[in-house]
Amino acid sequence: MLPEILQGTVGGGFVLIQDSSNYSGRQLLKSFIHAALTREEVVHVLGFEVSEEELKDGLNESSMQRLHFHNAYIDPLGWTESPHFTVHQFSMEQLTSLFKQTQQTKPFTLVIDSLSWILRHISTPVVCESLQQLKKGGAVRAVIGLLHSDMHQRGLVGSVCHLATSVITVRPGLRGDGAVAKTTKRSKTGKVTQDEEIFSIKEDLTVTVQGKPSQPGTTQTELEEPEADPTANLTFNLRLSDKEREAKEKLALPFVFSKEKKTALLHTGPGSGRILYEPDANDDYDQEDPDDDLDV
Amino acid sequence: MFTELNSILNITPDNFKQGEFVLISDRHTDGSFLIHHFLSFYLRARCKVCFLGLVQSFSHYCAVSQRLGVSLVQAKEKGQLIFLEGLKESLSVLIPKEPNTGSQALDFLRDPSAGLRSLYEFVRASVSHTGGVEGVEGVEGGVEEWGPPVLLVDDLSVLLSLGVSVGAALDFSHYCRATVCSQLQGSMVMLVRCEAEEEEDDGDEEGPERLLKGLTHQCSLTLQVQGLPTGYCRDIHGQVEVCWRNRHGNGQQMQKKLFQYKVHDKSASFFARGTSSAVL
Repeated sequence: MLPEILQGTVGGGFVLIQDSSNYSGRQLLKSFIHAALTREEVVHVLGFEVSEEELKDGLNESSMQRLHFHNAYIDPLGWTESPHFTVHQFSMEQLTSLFKQTQQTKPFTLVIDSLSWILRHISTPVVCESLQQLKKGGAVRAVIGLLHSDMHQRGLVGSVCHLATSVITVRPGLRGDGAVAKTTKRSKTGKVTQDEEIFSIKEDLTVTVQGKPSQPGTTQTELEEPEADPTANLTFNLRLSDKEREAKEKLALPFVFSKEKKTALLHTGPGSGRILYEPDANDDYDQEDPDDDLDV
Repeated sequence: MFTELNSILNITPDNFKQGEFVLISDRHTDGSFLIHHFLSFYLRARCKVCFLGLVQSFSHYCAVSQRLGVSLVQAKEKGQLIFLEGLKESLSVLIPKEPNTGSQALDFLRDPSAGLRSLYEFVRASVSHTGGVEGVEGVEGGVEEWGPPVLLVDDLSVLLSLGVSVGAALDFSHYCRATVCSQLQGSMVMLVRCEAEEEEDDGDEEGPERLLKGLTHQCSLTLQVQGLPTGYCRDIHGQVEVCWRNRHGNGQQMQKKLFQYKVHDKSASFFARGTSSAVL
């Protein structure tokens, strides 16, 4: 599903890339920029976390005039005299006037690197509101945001995720240079589809999907090395052949009473001792309880 | 300067990558030997160094550097080293003797919620222009030219103890990175101490763990120093995980190596796990 979102066939909306300190999602973000530029789209970047050179490094030179970098990296809080774009300008009105400066009327893709920076300085409801407006707004074709999810509280991450039409969570792969992307996509009808893929990003920022990670159950068994059999080289025999098993089962154990044994031992034949008692009329049969005098 | 570490990181004082942000973190042990390493390394590389020493006194750093073969006093006189002695400066902020003495750098001590802008201004002033050295040009008859600027911080988590929020500390490091690493093509080394107990991964703790995570997102190389999980050992002082975080996109994103180390009197040895001379 990752290539479809990358190609933008899933039309517009808000794509959220979630990463953690184990694996940076910026490379994937750049792949998104690259993909949008190759589609001849105009891309606006709100760059808080990396410098312009670093972001443009690796991107195609020829499409640079369609990439507008709004430098919020050098001075995001207005500490120096001439801030270009500060974090407090992150609102619909300010952004619209910023985009108008470039005098492009075509719908464009807005890339936010990163939402974590904004969320650290502006309250969550305000950010969510602006994002919602951007998502709906006519000039913006799509919003792509990067979020360092391990920097925020879980509830905050959740509320931003709810706004997104697609959420891509990246984490390092088990081996090699592949990484795992967990994609959740919400279609307009409300249907939610999820997918997990192993992907790698080449030097020219194209993304190749290498397949799906195996199920958690099977990965475990895969990881476990085949254990050495401790019963392999024994001086005695632990296993039974069928014949031996048969013989073993035939053997009667002592002190276990089978029917044959019982009858053999408790043989009741004629002539053996028996007590026959027939009560006689003269029998001195005491009606009273003989133990009546006992104090029990 | 530890030559063994240099070969691991593939750098020499004559040839090292510029624009790097090195993050040193320690847990269960003391990682300050790496700060001393980088201090002597960059001084030998003839960089202009700004050192924020918030943990120890100048004479302490001086004594250690002396052992590593670098004189901080000379470097300071030549204008190569700008040293902010946090212990001394903070005293003059908290107990002002005369009005308007000392720098404004530690103004955040009076009102930690105001942020670290004043400290950043100090850093920017120290690294950006060579004008600060004009007064001492008489040494060799002219101002010496220094290489790209370097900022060293020992250590950033002290700021948290002084009441600064994690967000403010991250803003400070962001500004320093933008100025030192990107604009001036210099380098930056920061140390962060983590508490001994690993905290629950809630994401809402306001502590060094969160600071470390935030800085990890910013930096290009991390050196994680840890005590041995099995406890103290005379021959192995701990392990250090070196992790290159690729910021310039080619091939593998992250590369990790794990070493054990032993700090000697004047050097440190690094070796693969289990290959200590005490074991073999």
